[in-house]
Amino acid sequence: MRLKKPAVALATAALMTLAACGGGSGTGTDPGSENTGTIEGGNAGSGKNPDAQAPAEVPEDATEGGTFTVLTVNVPSTLDPTQAYYTDSTAILSDLVTRSLTQYAYVDGEMVLIPDMATDLGRPNEDNTEWTFTLREGLKYEDGTDVKAEDVAYAIKRSFAIEELPDGPTYQTTFFLDGDKYKGPFQDGTDYAGVEVNGNDITIKMRRPFTDMDYYASFPAFTAIPEAKDNPATYGRHPLATGPYKFADYKPGTSLTLVKNEFWDPETDPGRIQMVDGWEFKFGQDSAKLENVIINDTGEAQTTLTYDNVTASGYRSIQEDPDRLVTGTSPCTFMWFLDMTKITDINVRKAIGYAYPYRAAWKAAGEIEGVTRVPGTSILPPGTAGRVEYDPLGIKGVNTDPEKSKELLQEAGAMGYEIKFLFASDDALSVQAKDQLVNGLEAGGFKATPIASTLETIRTDRTDYDSPINVRSSGWCSDWPSGGSWFPAQWSGDLVGLEGMPNPSNFKVAEMDALQDKILDTMTPEEAAAAWGEFDKKMQTEYYPAVVTGYSGTAMIHGSKVGGMENDNVRGMPTFQRMYITE
Amino acid sequence: MGIQPTELVVSNTDEPEVKSQDVAGRSPTQIALDRLRHDKIAMVCLAVVAVFVLIAIFAPLLTDLFGVELEGGDPVTDTKADSFPAIGPPDYGFTWEAPLGLEPRTGNDLLAEWFYGARTSLGVATFATVAATLMGIVIGLVAGFARGWLDRVIAFVIDIFLSLPFILVALALAPIIVSRFGAQPERLEFVQLCALLFVLSVFGWMTLARLIRGEVLSLREREFVQAARVIGVPTRSILFKELLPNLVAPIVVSISLGLPAFVTAEAGLAFLGIGVVGIPSWGQTVNRAVEFFSTYPLFLYAPVVGICLLVIALNLLGDAVRDAFDPKTRR
Amino acid sequence: MFGYIIRRAVSGILVLLATSVAVFALFFYGPSNPALAYCPETRCTPERLANITESLGLDRPVLEQYGGYMKGIVAGNDFEAGAISIPCDAPCLGVSFKLRVDVADYLLARFPATLSLAVGGVAIAVTLGTALGIFASRVRGTLADKLIVGSSLVINAVPYYLVALLAFLYLISEWGIFPQSGYVSPFTAGPISWAAGLLLPWLVIGITSSTQYARFSRGSMIESMNEDYVRTARAKGLSDRMVTLKHALRSAVVPVVTIMGLEFAALLAGTIFTERIFDIQGIGKTALDAIGTKDLPIIAATVLIAAAFVVTANIVVDIIYSLLDPRVRLS
Repeated sequence: MRLKKPAVALATAALMTLAACGGGSGTGTDPGSENTGTIEGGNAGSGKNPDAQAPAEVPEDATEGGTFTVLTVNVPSTLDPTQAYYTDSTAILSDLVTRSLTQYAYVDGEMVLIPDMATDLGRPNEDNTEWTFTLREGLKYEDGTDVKAEDVAYAIKRSFAIEELPDGPTYQTTFFLDGDKYKGPFQDGTDYAGVEVNGNDITIKMRRPFTDMDYYASFPAFTAIPEAKDNPATYGRHPLATGPYKFADYKPGTSLTLVKNEFWDPETDPGRIQMVDGWEFKFGQDSAKLENVIINDTGEAQTTLTYDNVTASGYRSIQEDPDRLVTGTSPCTFMWFLDMTKITDINVRKAIGYAYPYRAAWKAAGEIEGVTRVPGTSILPPGTAGRVEYDPLGIKGVNTDPEKSKELLQEAGAMGYEIKFLFASDDALSVQAKDQLVNGLEAGGFKATPIASTLETIRTDRTDYDSPINVRSSGWCSDWPSGGSWFPAQWSGDLVGLEGMPNPSNFKVAEMDALQDKILDTMTPEEAAAAWGEFDKKMQTEYYPAVVTGYSGTAMIHGSKVGGMENDNVRGMPTFQRMYITE
Repeated sequence: MGIQPTELVVSNTDEPEVKSQDVAGRSPTQIALDRLRHDKIAMVCLAVVAVFVLIAIFAPLLTDLFGVELEGGDPVTDTKADSFPAIGPPDYGFTWEAPLGLEPRTGNDLLAEWFYGARTSLGVATFATVAATLMGIVIGLVAGFARGWLDRVIAFVIDIFLSLPFILVALALAPIIVSRFGAQPERLEFVQLCALLFVLSVFGWMTLARLIRGEVLSLREREFVQAARVIGVPTRSILFKELLPNLVAPIVVSISLGLPAFVTAEAGLAFLGIGVVGIPSWGQTVNRAVEFFSTYPLFLYAPVVGICLLVIALNLLGDAVRDAFDPKTRR
Repeated sequence: MFGYIIRRAVSGILVLLATSVAVFALFFYGPSNPALAYCPETRCTPERLANITESLGLDRPVLEQYGGYMKGIVAGNDFEAGAISIPCDAPCLGVSFKLRVDVADYLLARFPATLSLAVGGVAIAVTLGTALGIFASRVRGTLADKLIVGSSLVINAVPYYLVALLAFLYLISEWGIFPQSGYVSPFTAGPISWAAGLLLPWLVIGITSSTQYARFSRGSMIESMNEDYVRTARAKGLSDRMVTLKHALRSAVVPVVTIMGLEFAALLAGTIFTERIFDIQGIGKTALDAIGTKDLPIIAATVLIAAAFVVTANIVVDIIYSLLDPRVRLS
C-alpha cells in the first residue's frame, strides 16, 4: 500500500517515497502464503476473526451527535473505490463510506480482519484457486436500494479497467482468472469468467493459488457498485455509500463533507459505528496552521483531528497534553537500495551501512526518532508473521560508525568510493537531508555525489535503469502482513530488467532465487512465514543489498473531545470507523 | 507585492509645486544631493543601509569574528532528540557559541545564516536593479525615439508584461529554467541563481521604460536635439549623449525605489518556496521558521527584523531621493 | 468615447492572446510531461505512454495544439487521455493533471473566496485611505497630519507579506483575537461567520494599501482646495463642509481611481500571499499549490485569468477616469 503522501506532502516524501506495492507489470510471482486461520495476535493486522458479530460495540463514553473536522496537508488524488490505493483514500472510503467484503477492526491495540459485507472471511477451495463470499441480507445503498451480489461482481470486474481507472491495486491481474487478458467492463464488456454470482454467493476464480484473498477483499475495490450508476470519469465524485456515512459535498482537492447514511443498518456491520452526525475533511491545509488549531483546542478545534504526522514543533507543544497524541506504527520499511550490479563488493556495501548518518538524516528530513521513524535492521517490519530480529552490522540501525566504514573500505581497496544518489532540489527538507548524507558518507571515507531531481520526477528518475546513481532511496509497505508480500515482489531475480524497476537493488542471486522458489512452491503457509523471516536474515547478512533506514511511525494529534481515535496500524491512519465525540 | 513602484508614475498628482529658490551655478543633481543631505530621516536610513551593505560585504569575516560557521551544524550533536537545539534558545539562555541560536533539525548556526542572508538579499537586489534599469533605459530610449511600429510594439510588450501576474509567472518560470539548464548537478546552484535574477530583472523594467519613453518624447522636440539631428549626429549618439544626461533624475529615482522592491520580491519569492537552494536567504529562513513560531520564536524574528529594517530603510531613502530630485514634491 | 472603448478592448484582447501564447508555451517547455501525468505510476510502459501522448495530441504540431487549446476555451473540448475521458465544457481551460477535474469548474468553486477577500480589502483601503487623506488635508500642517503622512510612509515601506504573517501569527494563532476559520461561504455558514473569518485579512489588506489612497487623496484635496471654483464656492458662502463634500471631493476621487487601477496587479499578487498565510482556499492558493505539484493546466489557467483581470481593470479604470474628470479627454 502507498503512504498517505501522494503529492503535496513535501516532508519526507521526496527522499523516501515508497514504491507502490504490487510492483512492476506482470511479475508472475506469488506473494501469497499466509495462513487463513483464526486470531494470531501481536501482529499488524494479521489477526483474523471470521466470527465477529454485528452490531459493533459502542464505547461507554461515546455521545451521539457532533461533527468531526479532519484537517490535512494532503490531497487525496482520487476517491473512486477502484482507484483508491493511498492510505488516506482507502481509510476514508473503507472506514466510513464504501463497505467491502471484509474489513479491519481495532481490537486491543491491533487491527483484526473481520467480515464486512460478507458473512465470513470467504471460503477458499482446497488449493486456494476459488474463493466464495456470501453477501449479508439487508444491505442497502444510500438511496435505499438493495445491494446485490451482482454489484460486487461488477466492482470486481471494474477493477480490471486499469487504463480507465489507473493507480489502483493490481493483484487481480496477477492472480484472478484471465487477469492478464480481461481489460474491464468498459473495453471487454461484463462477460468475465473469473466472477460468478449465485444468489448471494460471489465466487472468484483464480489462475494461480491466492491464499491472501481475504485480506485483499478488504480493499475499497471490493465494494458494491451498481453498473447502471457507473461512469468511470465521475463515479469518484460521489461513490454510492454502503457504510455509515455518505458524500454530501465533495470538492476535489479542497474538501469532503460526509453526512449520516440513513440506510446503513448497524445490525449488518460488525466493525463500524455511526455516532457523529458528519465529517468535514479539509484537504491541502497548511501544516503549521492546522497543528496550531488542534493544539490550542478551543471551540470547534476540540472535535478536530489530523492524520498528518506531527512536526517537531507540534510534538513539543502537545507534550503538555499527551493524551491528544496518538502514536503507533505502520508496516513500512525505508531502505537505501544498493545497486548490486554497480557496488559489487560486499565490504563496500556494508561500509555504506556503517557510514549512513541515520540520526542526522532523519532529523534533517524532519523525522522524530522513535516517533515518526523507528530504527530497525530487519527488512520485514514489526508485526509481520515469522519476522526474525537480527542486526547484520551490530549498530542497531542507528549508531553510525565512520571508522568501521573506513576500515572496510581500506580492506576493499576502495577508499573514496563514489556514492551517487538522488534528492529533490525543490524540497527544503530533502535538500537538508542530502547535506547530512554527504557529510556522513564523506566522514565514512566515501565520495558523495548527490544528483538533483525534483519532487515530481524523482520517482521516474529512480526507477530508470540508466540513471547515473548507484543507490536508490525508497521503501516498501505491506499490503497485508505476510513476508510473501515482500520478497517475491522486490527481491526476486526475475524482476531485474523489468519496466518500473521493481527490484531496486538489481538483486539477482541464484541461491536466493532458488530459496524463494522453494518457499513458494513447497511450503505450507505456516512454514513459509518462518522461512521468510530466515530469508530476510540470510539475505541481509550474506549479501547486504540494502541499508534499512528505519520503519515508519505514526504520530497524529487530535482535539480533546475526540474519542476512539487509535492508530490503524495497517494503514498508519486514524481508526475512523470507531470514532465518536466524548462528553 | 509587485516590483513596479507605483509612486513613480503618479508622483505629479502630489502637492502643488512650491517655488524653490534656485541658486545659480548648480546642476539639478547637486541641488538634489544638497536637499538630501539636509534630510535627517534620509541620512539615518542611509546609515542603516550602509550597515547592511557592510554586513553583506564582510559576511565571511563577521562569521569568523563571532566564531560561527555557515551550515556547519551536526543534527546529532547540535540538536536534541526532539530536533530542538542542544545549546542556546529556546531551551537554554543566550550563548556566545550561537548568538542567534541554532536551527532546529539541522543545528545550523542562525547568525551565520543571517549574515549571508543579507548578502544574498542585497546582492540579488543590486544585480536585478542594475539589470532592470539598463533594460528600462535602453527600451525606453528606443521606444521614445523610434516612431511608428517599433514604438507600438514596445508599448504592446510593456502592456503584456504589466498584465502578467508577476509572482505566478516567476514561480512557474524558475523551475522551467532550472530544468532546462540545470542538467549538471554541480551547476545547479548557479543556474537557480541565474533563474532568480532573470525573473526579477525581466519583470522590473517596464515602469522605467515607460517613464523614459515619455521624457524622450518631450525632449526630442527640444532645440538641442533638433540641432544635433540637423548637423547629422547619428541616432545612437543623440540617444546616449544628448538625451541620457537629461534623464538622470528619473533613473536615480527608479534605482532608489527599485532596490527595496527587489529586496522585498526576493524574500517574498523565497518565502513562497522559490529561490536558490543551498544559498542562505532570509525569505527561506522565514518559510522554515513559521512552523516553529510558538516553540522557537527567535528563529523567525531574526530574518523578519532583517528584511523589515533593510526594506524600510531603503524605501524611506528612496522616497527621500525621489522628493529631492522632483522639485514638484515636498514633504 | 465608444470608439475608444472598442480600441481599448481590441488591444486588451491582443494582449490576452499574447499572454495565452506565453502560457501555452508552459506546456511545451514546462517542467512536467502531460502524458506522464496520465500514465499509471506503477505500470507506465513506453507503449502506454506513446498511446496517451497520441490521444492527448502531444505529437501534433505546436500550432495545431495551440489551436486546440484556444478552441477548448471557446467551444469546450472533451478530454481524451488513453482510455480516460473527462468532459470539459466551454470555457474549457483544460483538465487538472492531479485531480482530473475540469479546471474552469475547479477555479470557479474557489473564486468566491478570492472575490470576498479582494472586494472587502479594497473597500476598507479606499474608505480608510480617502477618509484619512481628506482629514489630513483639512488639518494640514498639524501634528495629526504629520502623523498620518509619516505612518503612511512607514507602513508603505514594510513588505506586505511580513505584516500579514505577523498579524496571522499573533492575532489569530497566539492571542486568538480573530477566528481561525478563514473563508466560509456566506450562503451556507451565514454572513456573520463569513465576515468574521475574513475580518483580519481584510484589515491587513485594507490598512497596508490604504496608505497610497491617503497620500494621493490628501495631495489632490490640497490642490483642489486652492482651485478657483472652490474659492468661488466659498465666496458664495457655502459652509466648509459643503465645499469639501460637493466640490473638492470629486477631484480627490480621481487619484483613488487611478491607484485602484495601478494597484490591481499588486492586489492580485497580494492575494497569493494573503491566501497562503491565512490559508484561504482561493485562486491564489490554488495557483500556488498547483505550482507545487506542477499541475500545468491550473497554473496556465490562473495566469490567464489574472492577466484578463488586470487588462479589464485597466480598461474600466480608464473609462471611469474619463467620466469622473472632465479634463481627461479620451483619444
